Amino acid sequence: MRISDYIEQSFSNLWKKKLRTILTIFGVMIGIGALVSMFSFGQGIQDNITNTFNELQLFNYVSVYPRSENNQTIPPSEHSNAPEHTGPYTQILNDDFIREVREIEGVESAFPEIRFPAMINFNSEERFSLVQVLPAEVCQSGLMKLRAGRPYSPADSNALIISDSFLRRLDVREPETAIGQQIEVSTLTADLSLSNMPNIISFLKGEGLPFSRQSYQFTIVGVTEKMGFAGPMPVRSDVFIMPAESEKMKKLSLTSIWDLFQSSQQTKGYSMVNVKLSSTKYIEHVKEKMEDKGFRTFALIDHLEEIKTGFIFMNMFLFAVGMIAITVAALGIINTMVMSILERYKEIGIMKAVGASDGDVKKIFLFESGAIGFLGGVLGLALGWLVSMLINQVVNFFMVKQGAPYMDYFSFRWWLCLGAIVFSILISLAAGVYPTLRAARVDPVVALRHD
Amino acid sequence: MNSDSFIKTEDLTRIYSSGTIQVVALDNVSLSVKEGEFIGVTGPSGSGKSTLMNLLAGLDRPSSGNISVQGRLISDLNKHELALYRRHQVGMIFQSFNLVSSYSALENVAFPLLFAGVAKKERIERAAQMLEKVRLYPRKDHRPAELSGGEQQRTAIARALINQPKILLADEPTGNLDSKTSRQIVQTLSELNKKQGLTVIMISHEEILLEEFADDVIHLQDGKVIQEERIR
Repeated sequence: MRISDYIEQSFSNLWKKKLRTILTIFGVMIGIGALVSMFSFGQGIQDNITNTFNELQLFNYVSVYPRSENNQTIPPSEHSNAPEHTGPYTQILNDDFIREVREIEGVESAFPEIRFPAMINFNSEERFSLVQVLPAEVCQSGLMKLRAGRPYSPADSNALIISDSFLRRLDVREPETAIGQQIEVSTLTADLSLSNMPNIISFLKGEGLPFSRQSYQFTIVGVTEKMGFAGPMPVRSDVFIMPAESEKMKKLSLTSIWDLFQSSQQTKGYSMVNVKLSSTKYIEHVKEKMEDKGFRTFALIDHLEEIKTGFIFMNMFLFAVGMIAITVAALGIINTMVMSILERYKEIGIMKAVGASDGDVKKIFLFESGAIGFLGGVLGLALGWLVSMLINQVVNFFMVKQGAPYMDYFSFRWWLCLGAIVFSILISLAAGVYPTLRAARVDPVVALRHD
Repeated sequence: MNSDSFIKTEDLTRIYSSGTIQVVALDNVSLSVKEGEFIGVTGPSGSGKSTLMNLLAGLDRPSSGNISVQGRLISDLNKHELALYRRHQVGMIFQSFNLVSSYSALENVAFPLLFAGVAKKERIERAAQMLEKVRLYPRKDHRPAELSGGEQQRTAIARALINQPKILLADEPTGNLDSKTSRQIVQTLSELNKKQGLTVIMISHEEILLEEFADDVIHLQDGKVIQEERIR
């Protein structure tokens, strides 16, 4: 028999039992659809994370922390290879250190992490935030994804960048409308002057603190996209200003009550310095130098393998869920094929009587299973794609409303599409093996007597 | 047994076992058929006629003894070779016609060509010619259920002959037909035998038909040949 005849025969035979065939194909379609959307979701999440990391060049950063028994700014995963520092001596992260670091080969920039608490007042809406001091060159480096406006430059005065999600909390829906507008940043200062007398008196009674507010005017030059994840990232605030402006401001640089206890101790320096490298190949070299100086380091790229393992586990889980549907579909195929063979018992006898070999009979039924798999695979792919797009639209509708950027949560690669169809055919062929062997075993003498 | 025998069986025996019970369906049958002969086989039910037919057709294997066709031992062929033997050497027709009910008459006739690897266009052409020969071309698109008994059997004959076999095995081809149609069918077989030199072996209960058309009639009983009657 010719291949084209097998294909034609299988489709025409399946079409003779339309309802049963369609129901079986539906089973496969749902299974493959589930598998495809699960896989594309896993791939989509993976793509989003790795693309963002690459786009923001997060793998090019090394964070440097002082080593101290009391230091609480421990990154999520401490570099365990570094020798443990003993004694009270602590290296200080200061401007001298930063200048020194900038001289190291491969270092593009180094900037301290400075954040201070402030009330942000815009259009008579007031919200609390931690303002991050970020040099202009870092702001221009592509680390920030701007939704509106531009990054600030040293030529700007009183320039400020704000995140779109924070703007939303200030009741601004359109980021563009905020550009060029005035915004007030109020800091907290320890004020022992006469004008702050009421607060000082209540402080002395133990009822309050001798603080007062100091307000500064800024102009919004850019609106940034809030990043979808947190962690030891170089940028993790909603409001950004340049170091020059920050120096002019009177403020308490406290990010937590813990800092109040810290300030009494002898060490004063930055809690963290971010070092940006021109390429990931300098990471090890820079980390070594920092650790030799007695600092602790954290580089995201060291955790790439862990991230990848996480993705593999996630994909395996999604695959397992999809496989449940596929298994049910395969049982449906076995059922359909066994039924079909019982119904066509006599036909199989006729085939053999007119010269079909066992191999011909096997192939006829295997092609039928394969055809179910092919149709189920193609339709399942379409279903998976459709459902994914629908979910993507719905999820984005709500996420964008909450200030998150528009994201494709599903990713359909060509190999996923092709793989889904091939996998569907293979599963169907496997499901067809038992019925096919049964068909080939039919005794023509018995079958031809059969009515 | 002379050397010019076309089909020859030697001590052909077929025993069916079901559990501990053994049934001897065919018991040491030795026959010789010359090319172009029309042989009738008759006998009561259970005498082994159909068993003999299935063995000659290569659908079944003997328990002992052997069959040779044109000097080739059919009983020694493997499964695949047997399929090829059925495909090219023999055509079969049955009492219950055994047409595929979901196929049209044309598709039924073309069915054996599918396994012979003939291209679709040629399959249709050859099947149409065959239907023309049995005067059924106008009914080519009808399903078996829409055809009369005689028409179904003529379709079956067309199917049996599509691969141009040398031997036609007919297992009670008139069993489901009225006497007039029966006679027409046997007449058709006789014409094929005479005009095309087709070797025909036909099982029938109707001794009148056998005596009219067959060259030789074999009487079977309890799996044994009890009489071989030379008619012409």
